Amino acid sequence: MAPPAGKRVKGVQIFRPFVYGTTAQLFDDKTNPKPPGVPDDHTHSWTVFVKGIDDVDITYWLRRVQFKLHESIPNHVRMIEATKNQPFLLRETGWGEFEITIKLYYAPESSEKPQTLYHHLRLHPYGRTDEEKETMRLNGGEVISWAYEEQLFNEPYEPFYEILTSGAVPASSAGPSKNSTKPTAGGKSKEKGKDKDDQKPVRSEGGVLERSAMIPLTNRPGQPFSRETETVEVKKLQEALVKVEELMTKTKAEVAGREKRLKELKAEAGK
Amino acid sequence: MTSHDVRDVLNLTPDHAGGPRPSKKQRTAAPRPNLKGLAREVQNLGGDNPIAIVPQVSVFKKRRLASRKPAARWELQPFTNSARADDGNLILRHWRKPAVEHGTGPEPIQDGETRPVEEGVDKDGEGPKTKDSEFAKFNVRVSVPQYNEDQYRTNLQSVEWTKEETDYLLELATDFDLRWAIIWDRYDFVPKPPQGEDADGAGTAVVPAPKPRTMEDLKARYYEVAAKMMAVQKPVPYMTRPEFELHEMMQNFNPEQERKRKEFALNTMARSKDEAREEESLLLEIKRILARTERFNEERRELYNRLDYPATDSDINSFKSSAGLQALLQNLMSTDKSKKRKSILGPAGSDGVSPGGAVPNSAASEGPGGHARRESIAATASSSRRDSDVRGGAAAATATSATTARASAEPTPTSATAPGAIGNKKKGGAAAAQPERRKLSSQEEQIYGVSYHDRLGSGPTFRYERINKLYSHKSGQQQLRMTNALAELDVPPRLVMPTANVTSQFEVLWSSVTALVDMRKLNDKLEGEIKLEEAKKAEREKAKGVLGEGSKGGGGGGDEGKKEGGKEITEEAAGETEKEKEKDREKAGNARPESSGKGAQKRSASVLSATSDKSTKRQKK
Repeated sequence: MAPPAGKRVKGVQIFRPFVYGTTAQLFDDKTNPKPPGVPDDHTHSWTVFVKGIDDVDITYWLRRVQFKLHESIPNHVRMIEATKNQPFLLRETGWGEFEITIKLYYAPESSEKPQTLYHHLRLHPYGRTDEEKETMRLNGGEVISWAYEEQLFNEPYEPFYEILTSGAVPASSAGPSKNSTKPTAGGKSKEKGKDKDDQKPVRSEGGVLERSAMIPLTNRPGQPFSRETETVEVKKLQEALVKVEELMTKTKAEVAGREKRLKELKAEAGK
Repeated sequence: MTSHDVRDVLNLTPDHAGGPRPSKKQRTAAPRPNLKGLAREVQNLGGDNPIAIVPQVSVFKKRRLASRKPAARWELQPFTNSARADDGNLILRHWRKPAVEHGTGPEPIQDGETRPVEEGVDKDGEGPKTKDSEFAKFNVRVSVPQYNEDQYRTNLQSVEWTKEETDYLLELATDFDLRWAIIWDRYDFVPKPPQGEDADGAGTAVVPAPKPRTMEDLKARYYEVAAKMMAVQKPVPYMTRPEFELHEMMQNFNPEQERKRKEFALNTMARSKDEAREEESLLLEIKRILARTERFNEERRELYNRLDYPATDSDINSFKSSAGLQALLQNLMSTDKSKKRKSILGPAGSDGVSPGGAVPNSAASEGPGGHARRESIAATASSSRRDSDVRGGAAAATATSATTARASAEPTPTSATAPGAIGNKKKGGAAAAQPERRKLSSQEEQIYGVSYHDRLGSGPTFRYERINKLYSHKSGQQQLRMTNALAELDVPPRLVMPTANVTSQFEVLWSSVTALVDMRKLNDKLEGEIKLEEAKKAEREKAKGVLGEGSKGGGGGGDEGKKEGGKEITEEAAGETEKEKEKDREKAGNARPESSGKGAQKRSASVLSATSDKSTKRQKK
């Protein structure tokens, strides 16, 4: 871990959305033939990944990812190093579900400690209803278990702050002041070089700017996380809230009735 | 004397032919004035002296009409103007060069001298040939935000503005190309009288009076609508910079400020010469006063510094002897010295003093320098006192305190001010670092996901962590209850997209569900207590029945039971939609009055549950 460079930027929180999860598929002679060398009892091929939303590059803040698999798997701690524009991806085969420990190591400029996520590998369709299970099975026979998450950087160090707040769009007021802060860190000079490369904002297919914290507007096949999904979820939660409030008033009335009854009974007992 | 000359003198043959000499010659020849109209040979005749007489060269006029082309053709061409609203019915004609015939000719000149000739409306046959006027492109319409009914309802609702009036405003805005002065002038919105009212209350029907709108009101509403519709069509992070700036500007329009600005401008323009002069003089006066107070403050501060003397409440007997006086003198000298030194350092040391430093009581807390100096004075004073062997209790106390103070004040005042100065510098450095960091525009903040919080634990975390914490703060049983309640509400166990928005929404839901769960718990508890009380009652009645007076009480109990049952039924009717858990309880509730009624009527405790046993025990106690 590099010694902290500069100071923390107080009171600032920066987030980056990303997706992690697993995709599993049953071995099948036609669509998914078992490669040679795979033990007989393995029934599925699966991948576990950490990637940017809409497949944008996240390697500028995430340096490497450690996947800790089940102990029974040979060499069960796997470290995946960052390659630009590639997701952190691990392919495996197996027969059982287990919990994968995903440890995120951040870019050295951040000087932050690694953080851990847990994800349950799903090989079999899951879901609360049969219907949900069925839709999962229909999806090309793949069982996907993906999770959206947002990485929050609370009070990042200054060099890292600089990295997290540049590169997506040509900086508005950056010009002169940026030059003046030049001699602070080594990471910055690299950063500046990158800046020159992508002066023009780069957008992914879903309209997300590279190096930004944006979320695509609409869903696309293979990209289930978007503003659309968010709005649906917010709506759902709001509906649930309304329902809770209804239940609450009902329960309150019930409680009031019971209290009254209890009082009566007690008064009677007191006679 | 160059080496060349030496060689020459010594008659040595130059070993390299192209030496510097020939080049020199060339150079002298070069800057000869090049006269026009003379042959080079003639010019060379003059040698080094330039020729003074220059023959006049007769320049002939160029032959006119040498490259004569046929006269340019101009044609009278009809044209329409698409900017007109009459759909091309008016056809005018103007002269213009037919461009197609002259491939090499100049481009058709777009001159302002095209003479439109009124032609009338009759020429219909020329339709296909007519061209659109070049000036039609200057007919620019402003783009006024469009919205439909639905969008209006979700985004643009306002207390002040009805939809009709908003429509009217936008219509005027298009009509007058956003020229606000005209819009305001023509603005005359007559709200429609409410329909269906006139049948019964024609006399009393109040036609809503049109609200008087100032130009700022109109602008504010228009910008509000425009900004909102902009955001609806394109969420903020997706806007380009100019779009975003426009959006920001419209969103931040402050009618009040605008009004004040105009008022101020009006006032400024309306003031007379005298008033202007007075204002100027007042401003000058203010400047003078401010300058004077500054100087005054400075002087006062200095005065306080001077008045800063060691405390005199200790007795002065020590200074009455000549030795004591000597010591005192030395003291004063040394303090004077330090004061001088301090006054040199003064500006640095007093930088940290707030502007209110001139206030007497804050003079004491002026800075570490002042303290240290005073303490050192006290210390030396006490030591001199020790010399003169006068020791009162109070003196001893001050002495000890002074010695301790001396230990801390050991560094000379000059060095004592240093930490303060460093502290200042540090603070200044931090303050300087702040603006050094790039200021992000609010659009950039959105794009990069930057937000500002008062309290933050530094380091990386995940958004979902907050929700995990919500769970982990509860005990195991409570967690189970919460998950059950959430499942009941059809909320998935893990949020699909834990964005900031969703998370905060979930937190609201979570707190209300917590309240609900607590309420249910209370409900269950009450139910248990009711059961207990009823069992008690049954017990009592049984006892009464034994005494032979039970029939009356039994009847009463039965009545009550029925009443309770009725209540339960209404409750059940109200709670149809409630889930199984509730229903179970309802069943239990229904069963209860029955059992109590039976208990009362049959006067047997056999149907009562274990709680009744407990209650009897308690009664016995």
